[in-house]
Amino acid sequence: MEEGSAFVGIERPKAPPLPDIDLADALKNPTDADLNRVLEGEGHIPGVIPAQLDRLLNFGASFSFWPLLFGLACCAIEMMSCAGPRWDIARFGMEAMRASPRQADGMIVAGWISLKMAPRVIRLYEQIPDPKWVLVMGSCATSGNIWNTYNVVQGADAIIPVDVYVPGCPPRPEALWQGLELIRDRVKQGKHAYDGLRTIPARVAIGE
Amino acid sequence: MVQANLDELSAALKTVQKELTSKFGKKLLETSTFRGELTLVVAPEDWIAVLTYCRDSETLGFDRLDCLFGNHYPERADQPFEVVANLTSIPNTTRVRIKTRLADGESLPTATGLWPSAGFDERETWEMFGVVFDGHPNLQRLLLISDFQGFPLRKDFPLEGLVGGRIRTDLKGKL
Amino acid sequence: MSAPSQDQAPPAATTLRPTLEELRERKARSRQPVHGDREVLTVSMGPHHPSMHGVFRAEVDFDGEVIVATRPEIGNLHRGVEKLAESLTYHQVIPLTDRLHYVASFAQNHGYCEAVEKLIGMEAPPRARFIRTMAHEMTRISNHLLWLGIHIMDFGAITFQQICFREREYMMDMFEMLCGARLTHSYCRIGGVAKDLPDGFAERMYGALDFLPTRISEYERLIDKNRIFLGRAKDVGIFTSEDCAAWRVTGPALRAAGVARDLRKDEPYAAYPEIDFESAVEYEADVYARYRVRMREMRESVKIIRQCLENMPEGPVLAKDAAHVIPEKKDVMRSSAAMIQDFMQVFQGPQVPAGEVYRAVETPHGELGFHVVSDGSPKPQRLHIATPCFFHCQATTPMWEGEMLADVVGIFGSVDVCLGSCDR
Repeated sequence: MEEGSAFVGIERPKAPPLPDIDLADALKNPTDADLNRVLEGEGHIPGVIPAQLDRLLNFGASFSFWPLLFGLACCAIEMMSCAGPRWDIARFGMEAMRASPRQADGMIVAGWISLKMAPRVIRLYEQIPDPKWVLVMGSCATSGNIWNTYNVVQGADAIIPVDVYVPGCPPRPEALWQGLELIRDRVKQGKHAYDGLRTIPARVAIGE
Repeated sequence: MVQANLDELSAALKTVQKELTSKFGKKLLETSTFRGELTLVVAPEDWIAVLTYCRDSETLGFDRLDCLFGNHYPERADQPFEVVANLTSIPNTTRVRIKTRLADGESLPTATGLWPSAGFDERETWEMFGVVFDGHPNLQRLLLISDFQGFPLRKDFPLEGLVGGRIRTDLKGKL
Repeated sequence: MSAPSQDQAPPAATTLRPTLEELRERKARSRQPVHGDREVLTVSMGPHHPSMHGVFRAEVDFDGEVIVATRPEIGNLHRGVEKLAESLTYHQVIPLTDRLHYVASFAQNHGYCEAVEKLIGMEAPPRARFIRTMAHEMTRISNHLLWLGIHIMDFGAITFQQICFREREYMMDMFEMLCGARLTHSYCRIGGVAKDLPDGFAERMYGALDFLPTRISEYERLIDKNRIFLGRAKDVGIFTSEDCAAWRVTGPALRAAGVARDLRKDEPYAAYPEIDFESAVEYEADVYARYRVRMREMRESVKIIRQCLENMPEGPVLAKDAAHVIPEKKDVMRSSAAMIQDFMQVFQGPQVPAGEVYRAVETPHGELGFHVVSDGSPKPQRLHIATPCFFHCQATTPMWEGEMLADVVGIFGSVDVCLGSCDR
């Protein structure tokens, strides 16, 4: 509260103190409220993993997000430009676009999804191990764009849970980069699009 | 803006027209020239004969099938479907268009024996319009999922909505 | 050792041109014999695979390392462009054509506008024809650079993709200056182009044209005599001229087989009759020949763009035709006649005569044909697009037969397929 600082004269609100919890008891008997908090992504069973370590791991993971090489259409060319020498997402550790979903941290769905491609998108998404994030690139994957036809799924969020949408046709590499920054924020927070979901939207739609 | 001499054929195409009319005569049901292009309509029975002559004739030399596709005219009740073939002669740089008109349910013999590139073309024409090509080695869905219902490019098929197929979550069977 | 002159191309094909019989023999020798009675292993390659040619799937039967049969499967990117075009006016179809072969967008715009102008019976003004030629050649350079980067990356030299993208960024900068978009240009209009060249465009373009040939020479120095590339590309994937005619393979693959077929010369359009250029023809019909054809085409494109800029006539960039043309925006905002014309063209569409035309142009990957059927209404009755990539995907069946697994990606890359164009 020095003079000249932004909070002169204002009491900065302090976070409420964490309640004292008996560690042994928490491990054995998590309450319903604790479980709900975990499911909604707001915390973890207290005492199992220290909160700071989690944040440190997420911070590190955000610098090494390896997307699945999943360019479908025109947006793939802009994604390649983003990985190219001018915008160079290798600075953020993302140039390692993995071909195998088992080694990937997430997907960049770049392009429209046709009826034929939809089961493949679903299978690839489900093969990526947790934790995973999905960035949907371009208007086609966001909502179908101008392709409101008999063969195009109107948006990838009809089939898989999506974290970040990057509109554009195609979005400039800077726009994709901003989307990737938002993904990195999600990685740091440890939040996922599938938090709170029991299954992916495609299976919900079918009734599985 | 539209002048009459835009439709006039070049000298090379005039010889092509002369040769084809002298060879096939009455079998060329219609001949038209529009914007300097020669279009001939034949009956389905003469489809292969005319295409074979165009390909094998020394003077015509139409050695390439540029594309083969279908069209649907619902206002024509008796022959709503049309199959169009655009032929190109690489040595003579001439082009000709051969068309045939089909009734609903009528099939056409395949041109894959003449040009293997007709394989994909005919599959696409079948899956978009429902025109069957007899003798085609693999008449299955090409661009659509294998159990798609309906023929999308017909004029009565809706443009919007996933009416022909649903989103599947498994890869079982042929996609 | 003195470096060769930076701007000169290496000498053209040798005088020892193989005849068709020799090429057939070479093809038979370079391919492995296929035994019909052996047990085969069926591998599904794609649609998600790292060779980056799009979502193409091929079910390939292998006898050891030798390919016995191929069943290509396309359609993973099918959107129904042809059906969608039937519900849009002729002007509104232009952005759809952009997204066919998305690496060379202007080429498709150009082809479509040429087809519709042939149907209407009109011509674009001279300045617009030169601008179209220049922009088309810019897409040729941009497409070939991306092709080169990915093709050589497929052979293992991964840095090449980064190098070629660096060059390609300069070309995309020029497009951004010209029409505002890097990738999906939508710059061509029925009756001309959307807007005139901006100030300073010619200077920047000359700057790009000055250093592009030096970069192309650099690539040739790295690749032309590279032992690995020669071993993987010479006598691999031989596809003779009769194969090309039977399977409707066009573009650089056809010219690499010795056929001097180039629609820019055979059925000239835009400003090509007034430009002096050579079309690149090679005679070996293998992957190496297709590489050489595209490198020479890049150099010729540089020449063509330079001539376009030097000989650019003055005048309007859109034809004065109230029935068919959307006027330039600067006129629309200032003149009431142009505003009314704009209103009618956008809300109603052009008044097109009934009839059908087929017009093909020489895009960077082959002959792209638009067959437009009109019934007199402002929307097409049928628009069929005969894309080269559709037939190149089909041609994997004969091209891969008898070849070894390691050559598959090289051969597929050498015909430069883009699945958006294949599936429409």
